[in-house]
Amino acid sequence: MTRWGMVIDAARCVGCQACTVACKTENQSPLDAWYAPVVEWEVGEFPDATLNYLPVLCNHCEDAPCVTACPSGALTRRDDGIVMADEEVCIGSRACMTACPYGALHFFEDRGTVAVEGAPAESAESVPERYAHQRHVRGAVSKCTYCAHKIDFGLENGLEVGVHPLATPACVVTCPAECRIFGDLDDPDSNVSQYLAGHGPPEVLRPDAKTLPSTQYVGLP
Amino acid sequence: MTAISMQSGGGSAPQNVFMDQFDLAARTQRVWDINHAIWFTLMGLGGGVFLVGRILNLTEGLGSLLGIPNVDVVSFVAIAVGGAILVADLGRPLQAWRAFVNVRTSWISWGAWSDLIFLVVAGLLVLPALSLGGSEPFSGLGWDPHGGDGGGLALEIVAGVAAVVVMTYAGAVLARPRAIPYWNSPAVPLQFLLSSAAMSVAVVMLIEVIAGEPVSTGQMVLLGVLTAALAVTVVVHLLTRTDAPGKAQSLERLLRGQHRFVFVWVVCAAGTAVPAVLAFAGAGAAGARDALAVICCLLLVVGGFLLRLMTLRVGIYPPVHIPSVRGPRSAGPTAGG
Repeated sequence: MTRWGMVIDAARCVGCQACTVACKTENQSPLDAWYAPVVEWEVGEFPDATLNYLPVLCNHCEDAPCVTACPSGALTRRDDGIVMADEEVCIGSRACMTACPYGALHFFEDRGTVAVEGAPAESAESVPERYAHQRHVRGAVSKCTYCAHKIDFGLENGLEVGVHPLATPACVVTCPAECRIFGDLDDPDSNVSQYLAGHGPPEVLRPDAKTLPSTQYVGLP
Repeated sequence: MTAISMQSGGGSAPQNVFMDQFDLAARTQRVWDINHAIWFTLMGLGGGVFLVGRILNLTEGLGSLLGIPNVDVVSFVAIAVGGAILVADLGRPLQAWRAFVNVRTSWISWGAWSDLIFLVVAGLLVLPALSLGGSEPFSGLGWDPHGGDGGGLALEIVAGVAAVVVMTYAGAVLARPRAIPYWNSPAVPLQFLLSSAAMSVAVVMLIEVIAGEPVSTGQMVLLGVLTAALAVTVVVHLLTRTDAPGKAQSLERLLRGQHRFVFVWVVCAAGTAVPAVLAFAGAGAAGARDALAVICCLLLVVGGFLLRLMTLRVGIYPPVHIPSVRGPRSAGPTAGG
């Protein structure tokens, strides 16, 4: 059984935020929603101070509290482990947002648009079907989908997921430090499994939440 | 000596320009606030007033509106207004019907169903009593609206079970996920249930006072017991898992920080301890009972609302990652090079 997951080697992150921007560009997330930012914090004191970086995104949890809490069924976990948000089905109760330990869900309030302010207005309906993932519904919740549209495209066209750029999440493709690895966590020969085998056991964020995340880390500061 | 300073998007330190939901510091939920506190309060009150009225057999003799007992009218209005506030607060109110879909795992779906079942079944129960322009168009329905026969009793039981869920589910919605440690405790739904029950007994006593009916000793004792149980539950919740990340910050804010006055003095003292004392005092002082009942009602409703609001406002997520405190990793031969 395929279980898509991402391993992030936090020690390799240089904090360039290229992933943040690539995600934004790929998914056209609402103006105040950042699906994949890099958190940074300072360590030490001048002159021996430095910044630590932690790329974060939806953890696509096996026991996803957002899916459990969602009253409308808008949030679902696919068989391949990706947690999806159907914005057309979402009622905007935001129960998922209170239930998520990672702050990975974003409510699209009636402010901001998917387009840059001042640009020609384009209705969501006019967005071509192949860019359906870029449609966002006001009053609904949206989130990282591991670029599921790219994964599905890759699978339909025989591309290797996690390797071919058209079949790999945008944040992974763009990372110059190659700190993100994407692949099948259930396949011992996959790139993620091999990376984990060579870099020690994975860690997860908020282990106390017991959500069994598919986004896993090595080299956490 | 090393130190970690958590960026919060401001200050003179290098900024993380991105959203505070990805801040490494503990963060406060701002998704649910006063609208939800009102909703939680009205649902608790609505379900509770119906239950108390029925259990204490107080549907008759306390007045009626269009033939419907006042106790039931208060219950229906509270739930209808609470539900309307909830729907209005949704991001997509016109899709509200979808809240009924995920009954498999979502407490909100359970709540939506229980609200609907309660309103329909309790509405059916009182329908024979409905009086419009002097006539009772539904009086031919074959059950007693006060639950005095088999049909009426069956409807009363179904509505009563639904009312219990209505009173409880808001707390369960908060308590189920582990994301917010202060909420993730059975004490939260228990507090909401006890608070709802106490508020409801007090509101029914207020209706009795307005109707000129005597408040019984038993009611005052019941109110005292419920309020004392609420106080114990609050204290136990405050004393458990006090050093858990997230909950420690919640407790700090409630007991020593910005919510200290409202929580300690209004919720705990004026809204819980004082009504408990007054209720037990009222049980032994028949002459002052009406006045004490009114005071208890005001204190408990205000305290109950603020208990829910404070619970929401101290919903704090621990940091997604607690780093080990150590020196700068770049310090070494290449640093500064």
